[in-house]
Amino acid sequence: MSPTLEYYCPCQSSTPHPPQPNLPSSSYSFHALHNLYFCEECDAIRCNHCVMVEVSGYYCPNCLFEVPSASVRAEKNRCRSCARNCFMCPCCSNTLTVVPSDPPDDGDGRPPPIISATGEPPFFLYCNHCRWDSAEVGITFEKPTGLAAQLQKFEDSAPEALEFERLKEHFEPYLRASPSTSGHGLGHSHSTHINPITAAASSALARDIPGVARYTPHISARSRSGRDKNSNRHEVPDYRARVEIGSTGLNLGGGAESDVDFVRHLETVEEMATLEQRWGNSWIISPRASDLKPVRIPLHSKKSKRCPSCRHILIKPEQKAQSVRYKIKLVAANYLPAISISLPHMQAALAMLRRSGRAGAEPQDGTMLAGKTYPFHLSFTNPLYDPIQVRLHVQRALPPTSPNAPPDAEKARRPPFAVTLPSAAFPIAAFAEAWEYDDDEDMFGIDDDDFDGRGGGGAGRDARGKSRTVGVLERRANVTVVGGEVMISKEARGDVKFNMLVSYTYRSDDPDPADELGTPSRTQAQNRQPEMKTFSFYTVVDLGTIIVRDASGNDTE
Amino acid sequence: MDLPIYYVRGEYIETDTGNKVSRKATIAGPQNIILGGKTVIANGAIIRGDLRRTGAGHAVVISLGRYCLVGEGCIMRPPYKTYRGNFNYYPMKVGDHVHIGANTVVEAAQIGNHVEIGKNCVIGKFTIIKDCAKIADNTVIPPNTVIPALSLFAGSPGQFVEDMPESTQEMVEAMTKGYYTRFQPDPSLPPANTR
Repeated sequence: MSPTLEYYCPCQSSTPHPPQPNLPSSSYSFHALHNLYFCEECDAIRCNHCVMVEVSGYYCPNCLFEVPSASVRAEKNRCRSCARNCFMCPCCSNTLTVVPSDPPDDGDGRPPPIISATGEPPFFLYCNHCRWDSAEVGITFEKPTGLAAQLQKFEDSAPEALEFERLKEHFEPYLRASPSTSGHGLGHSHSTHINPITAAASSALARDIPGVARYTPHISARSRSGRDKNSNRHEVPDYRARVEIGSTGLNLGGGAESDVDFVRHLETVEEMATLEQRWGNSWIISPRASDLKPVRIPLHSKKSKRCPSCRHILIKPEQKAQSVRYKIKLVAANYLPAISISLPHMQAALAMLRRSGRAGAEPQDGTMLAGKTYPFHLSFTNPLYDPIQVRLHVQRALPPTSPNAPPDAEKARRPPFAVTLPSAAFPIAAFAEAWEYDDDEDMFGIDDDDFDGRGGGGAGRDARGKSRTVGVLERRANVTVVGGEVMISKEARGDVKFNMLVSYTYRSDDPDPADELGTPSRTQAQNRQPEMKTFSFYTVVDLGTIIVRDASGNDTE
Repeated sequence: MDLPIYYVRGEYIETDTGNKVSRKATIAGPQNIILGGKTVIANGAIIRGDLRRTGAGHAVVISLGRYCLVGEGCIMRPPYKTYRGNFNYYPMKVGDHVHIGANTVVEAAQIGNHVEIGKNCVIGKFTIIKDCAKIADNTVIPPNTVIPALSLFAGSPGQFVEDMPESTQEMVEAMTKGYYTRFQPDPSLPPANTR
């Protein structure tokens, strides 16, 4: 339970101010810095809840084959599944391997290794983890290759699949007919009031999915071609299903008498397939665990992300599926100072424990007791190539809109602790690549000479005059450590959790580093306003739970 | 801000390239093991470089990249199988910035760069772990599993849970470099005390 600090994304609320940190819902609005994005156009933080996600490519997570999106779509009902020999165990979702039916006996009881080329037919799929094999459900293969194609025969002969094919055949003439009728109606008059993007999208859809997409201009031209549409509808004859769902006694899972019978004769829970095992299926399948079929591995996708308001791309991955590089990557960590927090008294306790050889023990000495005052350290790391000035504010409690805990509603209004932060702005030096390679030895000691030489701003000295714990404690490279203090009242309980507003101001008086910034829009923005630019964001600081010293309130143990 | 991780000076041997190998680790067949530099092999780890491919000549069995950590009590063992009737071991390649938690057994064929593996995991034979993947604590990865890039796996058998954030590479790199910097001899113990 080390202290944490998270950043606020304002997408969940209408006001720029974050919710009170003691509200349970507030955790939804705060994120770790590495999960956040930054839109340069809007000059705003974006999170995974608010960005627009687009699929930029599909791949199979097992064979890592990149599936072209066209073939994902064209695969009809087998879309989003790997067409290669990748199957998932229906019992444990592990990847299945192809094994020959008579494995060479090593005599050591280990599962046979995959020597598909040399084994004896028939082959079957085998799970390395739970020892399920496809022979149990009567699926064997003549060849160890092209299993998907071989298995497709099973799938295609299923009554539900046949029924779906027939249904498609039935509607095919209608779908083919409707574009031809509406196609004439699509005159030049339409293109004037159809957004070119919509037009492009609909034509792309029309290319991929016959019928459905051409229906889109049909809707826009409803008033005119409504007559055609109605006449089309009448042309479709009634469809008569050849399989009555749930009527055949052989098919389990339809909710018929046979299901009841099966459940009545259950002996162990394992005989019943779990919901997870069944619900990825297109059709109703048997609830018997022994009837489960190997599952094709669903494809994974690479996603690109856009800003919700200006639609600029924030994340654009490289095309190659297994590449971890990005063409565009606007993450908040490159714009906002990284803040980490620590409690010196807890660290001292931890170090003591480690030295005494009980590193695994819970640091009881490091917890916070009610009625005491504790210092805490905030370490700011500047990712920008410009020096910044940072100013901190504790968010004062807003008038309570809804007291979260009725018994101590007045306590919810006024937090039972007081936080002292350095009030003046403090500087953080610019980020320089060279520091990356600098393995400085005195990284952990507070260099007082250095502090006096460079960090002797008003903030540090004033705070030092008052108390040694509040103010700038340490400055090195692009890191500044400031101290704060939390005073916990006697009757306090709950978490020491408060919102902190961080404002940072950066100046670009030096044009040379600005060129190296690598972010053109920001450079321009700075050139327009060469003097100052300020960005503010909220964070939530959670220092941990207050331990009440008397025995009655010892609920944290 | 983070505390240094102290070790007793005599407990670890530091090589020219900055590798720190515990004297309490079992390194079998060291001539078949490559450490990329600034890699830490913790107490009680077992690295089986002796399980080499049959046949004459020099063979690299286990190669680890830079800034790796083989945690306490870890077992690194090359994968093996019988192919066309011949039993053989196959080499294990581990990339840069790979941390392996305590008491994990690794029999993977390949581990990419910037991979985090938790504590008490079992990584089955011939597993392939791509870049920036993460294996949660107490995960069992069955043999022959492929773990795609930027994915988090957890459970038994290990299954895909979620995508890792886009900044995983930078985070893991900072974490592994930070760990190496913090991993230093205890200054409170005099050097004379070490032997």
